[in-house]
Amino acid sequence: MPIDPVVYEYIASEVECPANQVIIEEGSKGDWVYVVLEGQVKVKKRTPKGLVVIDTLSEGELFGEIAFLEGEEADRSATVIAAEGSVRLGILNKELLIAHYSAMSPTLRAIIKSLSLKVRETTTRICAALVAAN
Amino acid sequence: MTDSKETIPTSYRLRYKKGEQIFKQNDFGISIYKILSGKVLIFRECDDVEVPIATLGKGSIIGEMIFFLRATEVRSASARALEESELDVTHPMEIIKEYEASAPILKLMAQQALNRLTRMNRFIDRLIVNKQEEPDNLKKSLSLWKSNRRFYRKKVNLTCKYASKTSLKGFSATLEGTIKNISMTGLGLEIDPRNESAIPHEIGEVFQVETTLPNGKELKLPCTLVRSARGRGYINLGMTYLDLSEDERKILGFFLLP
Repeated sequence: MPIDPVVYEYIASEVECPANQVIIEEGSKGDWVYVVLEGQVKVKKRTPKGLVVIDTLSEGELFGEIAFLEGEEADRSATVIAAEGSVRLGILNKELLIAHYSAMSPTLRAIIKSLSLKVRETTTRICAALVAAN
Repeated sequence: MTDSKETIPTSYRLRYKKGEQIFKQNDFGISIYKILSGKVLIFRECDDVEVPIATLGKGSIIGEMIFFLRATEVRSASARALEESELDVTHPMEIIKEYEASAPILKLMAQQALNRLTRMNRFIDRLIVNKQEEPDNLKKSLSLWKSNRRFYRKKVNLTCKYASKTSLKGFSATLEGTIKNISMTGLGLEIDPRNESAIPHEIGEVFQVETTLPNGKELKLPCTLVRSARGRGYINLGMTYLDLSEDERKILGFFLLP
């Protein structure tokens, strides 16, 4: 998908990642939000049968937003790894994002947080289903 | 007579008895619910299978997906009270206005999270239905309206081409394999182990599988790899379809008729 022009206003820095570099590790703390500027990243989840690919994200797609939307205490819900070839990422300005998010009413924040919790839970269920099917 | 200045209350409380439906998948509705007490089951109805998504309790919000879709779509899941439950029901008129006026970057994040969730839910549906069709698990459906439905997996020997939909340009290759069995929800593909060196064959990878049926009809099937079993000189891949077009479903359905 093309990069949404609005994203450019928030890119604080850019990084290049070699293939297979771990960008986010499941279970770790952190709430930076990233955008794929070039290449692809793989979203993987730990299972009793090893790491399982649950999604592949391409140019224009954001990741890391689940932990951000859930708040400071949230762990990273999945591992994100640079795929083959050149991967360039934008790191979004966290202070600016926090300022916007804090300005929302508690009700709206709760609704958005609920959505991101469901993404986290569904990710876990997908892994369980994949492992059961394997 | 109603006072024209009377405002519509945006929030009210409702009580549900055990087993009572709160909302139903495919219904139109925009209200958001907050569970004040009790337990609520969220489930999807896929073919004749009820797929539980979550059991939620006090403090959880349900029905919010439709909020992000601004009621342009139907509810993606059903909700039922598992015990006597009290819920706060909100008509999100004011919140929608606030959401519309909020920072576009946050709306983009929410939209992408929603897209991801929708995609994952569909994927789980397919996995569950696939599991149901395994001969050992073939159960008589509890559904009244499709109680005689049976699932079929046909043994075949169809050569096919397949390519990764997730690999980068320059790292992709079109490979060959043999479809050994096929159903309305997935297929079993036998490949040469050397194919693994051309593109990754990890669980969860997305592929496009293309084949021609004995009746001359062509099929293009977007699939996800859900299992992989190594034999002597071959690998068996279990694939689950992602979204099939109506045409593809008709061609496949006709081919699979007993």
